[in-house]
Amino acid sequence: MQVEISGLRKVYPGGVTALQGLDLTIPPGVFGLLGPNGSGKTTLMRILATLLEPTSGEARVGGHDVRKEKGAVRELLGYMPEEFGFYPNLTAYEMLDYLALLCRINDRSERRSQIEQALHRVNLDAVANRRVGTFSSGMKRRLGIAQAILNNPRVLIMDEPTSGLDPEERVRLRNLLAELAGDRVVILSTHIVNDVASIGQRLAILRQGRCLFTGRLAELLAPLNNRTWIIDIEEDELGRVRHDFEVTGVFRSATGMQVRALADSMSHPRGYAAEPTLDDAYVTLMNHDAGESDTPSEEEAPPSETA
Amino acid sequence: MRRPDCIGLGAIFARECRLAVGGASFWSLGAAGALLAAWRAAGREVTCGVAAYRASEIIVLGVGVVAVLLAGAAAARDRRQAVAQLVLAKPRGSAPALVLVRFAALWLSLAVLAAMVLAASALTQIAVAGTPWRVYPYAHALAYTMLPIGLAAALGFSLSTIFATPLASAVAALYWIVIPLTRAHIAIAFDLTLSQHWPLTALFLGFLIALTGALYARPVRDGGATTARLAWAAALLLGATVVAAYGIAASGDDALLGPDPVLAAIAAQSSHRDPRAPGFWLPDAHGRRVALSDYAGRPVALTFWGPAAANSVHALSLLRGLAAEFRSSGLVCIAVCVDRDSAAMRPFLRDGGSDVVMLWDRGRHFGDGTYLGDSPAAVGYEVTHLPATFILDRDRSIQYVLSEIPPDRVREKVAQVIDR
Repeated sequence: MQVEISGLRKVYPGGVTALQGLDLTIPPGVFGLLGPNGSGKTTLMRILATLLEPTSGEARVGGHDVRKEKGAVRELLGYMPEEFGFYPNLTAYEMLDYLALLCRINDRSERRSQIEQALHRVNLDAVANRRVGTFSSGMKRRLGIAQAILNNPRVLIMDEPTSGLDPEERVRLRNLLAELAGDRVVILSTHIVNDVASIGQRLAILRQGRCLFTGRLAELLAPLNNRTWIIDIEEDELGRVRHDFEVTGVFRSATGMQVRALADSMSHPRGYAAEPTLDDAYVTLMNHDAGESDTPSEEEAPPSETA
Repeated sequence: MRRPDCIGLGAIFARECRLAVGGASFWSLGAAGALLAAWRAAGREVTCGVAAYRASEIIVLGVGVVAVLLAGAAAARDRRQAVAQLVLAKPRGSAPALVLVRFAALWLSLAVLAAMVLAASALTQIAVAGTPWRVYPYAHALAYTMLPIGLAAALGFSLSTIFATPLASAVAALYWIVIPLTRAHIAIAFDLTLSQHWPLTALFLGFLIALTGALYARPVRDGGATTARLAWAAALLLGATVVAAYGIAASGDDALLGPDPVLAAIAAQSSHRDPRAPGFWLPDAHGRRVALSDYAGRPVALTFWGPAAANSVHALSLLRGLAAEFRSSGLVCIAVCVDRDSAAMRPFLRDGGSDVVMLWDRGRHFGDGTYLGDSPAAVGYEVTHLPATFILDRDRSIQYVLSEIPPDRVREKVAQVIDR
């Protein structure tokens, strides 16, 4: 079971290009899609969920074309959109029952057991008989997850599953996704880097509809090994440090200010080596890409560091 | 028993019904309709036929408007509450089937509203009017109104789906209010609340639901797509135009429209109990509906005639004579053509002038004037032969049947009724 995407393009009516010829292969396991807002994550997920037609290119879920074999793809699929709602006057149980019916789980007792299981997994069994209209946004999101895992899908697509969840729920969700992964494909998109860092064995980073990186987390971090530093600085130093190094993060600590920076060697007296994180890699990748694509002309382009 | 290849439509239907009647607003609307019906049926001596008829007016117009808006809300529900994406990504969410089931559930819930109105009307009639109760009129009113209401709902459903906002269905609601109340030429084609238009109503309803089913999974997904929406709206309009054209053609030759024995039975029941002449609400040559109650407080000369019945020409010319003579005294002359085809009365209209109100009651008769007793209004007046002329006074009581008066005394008797 895997998801294969080749040359996928999506141009919306009105000319906005959301995906520009994307190539990706997503193997079983948790796969993180990372990228800023507007990078095409949601578009990609909606295409995979058969809710959107690609303009050109091909996407196959478990060998089935998302364009021509919608039915077969949906059989395999559990999908949680980024924004969704429920009928407010149904209870959580009734809502899942409705959606389970659409999954063609026609047997009442089977429906019941699947719904109870799903509610238990997202920790909503206590409020199963409460109207969804009274739910908090975190609870609704968990119910969204519950509906996605109904019918045991082989491919789970989750668009921003952690937004709106409190830290405890977030950890719980990560555990759930890791547990679900196994031989399933679990694709989750997020713009929160840490979500992917903690569970995504593999990831892709998108920007403006293009894939900047795809592979394992370790592969992404490898070029940053021995190049990542933390520097303790005074407040007025920031400008100079930014000029001298490639800064990937600025933090305030109890003692003053810290920056994370990338450099082949450290010339600053208060700089010391650090483990590279996904944050560092992500920011670097974004900065470099922005540098390339925002450059007005070639003469003014800075020498490319990634080349 | 698991049937893996289809979604459980029955169970979905039950859920949809629950969604449709779930809100307090639904029951409030039902209660309001019931109160109105009770008020309309609360007069003394109101027969069950009249009470059921008034209730059916409330249902077609009142519940019709509610139907449009309710359907608009139901169709937009998935998008408004952002459930559409969840639903559409489900395996074979089978959008057309879902739309069909949803619409059926909506229709059923509207039938509940209609039943509430009728029940209130019936109970009030039993309690207040003191006239005998029959189940027929109410059953008929329910059966007769469900199609126009279904159409109202389908209109709201389609428009709301096309434009992805329940506001669009308000346009249909406006249509529903304006067209039936506008007794204009346009009504013959577009007033789908007219019972004789039921084949058109059913056709149009089917078309709208098919359109909505085809549409549900498609539009709005790609963002704006205004042109697509306009194209769908154009398809809807085209459908309406085809139906309207068909309506115009069909009203010239009414072979499609079946006789209505229940209606005849009601008319027969009603006529025996009310001291007044039976009321009616019949279409004229343009399809506009004219009610006897439009002329409340005025004396009426009413002739039932048939184009094939031998003495009809004579009866009509007598009626015209009365119209010309007593127009200034307020006499209303109504000629009801009893024939299978409303077009049969058109030649008689041309030389009729505008003094005589020409209406149409669908029924059959033979050349010798024998009437087969299959049209609602003529049955109500216990007509057995055509032509038959009745003189009603200002209180709508039948004073004379013209066949019982010597011809030379007709004018004298009419003058008496007018002066009374």
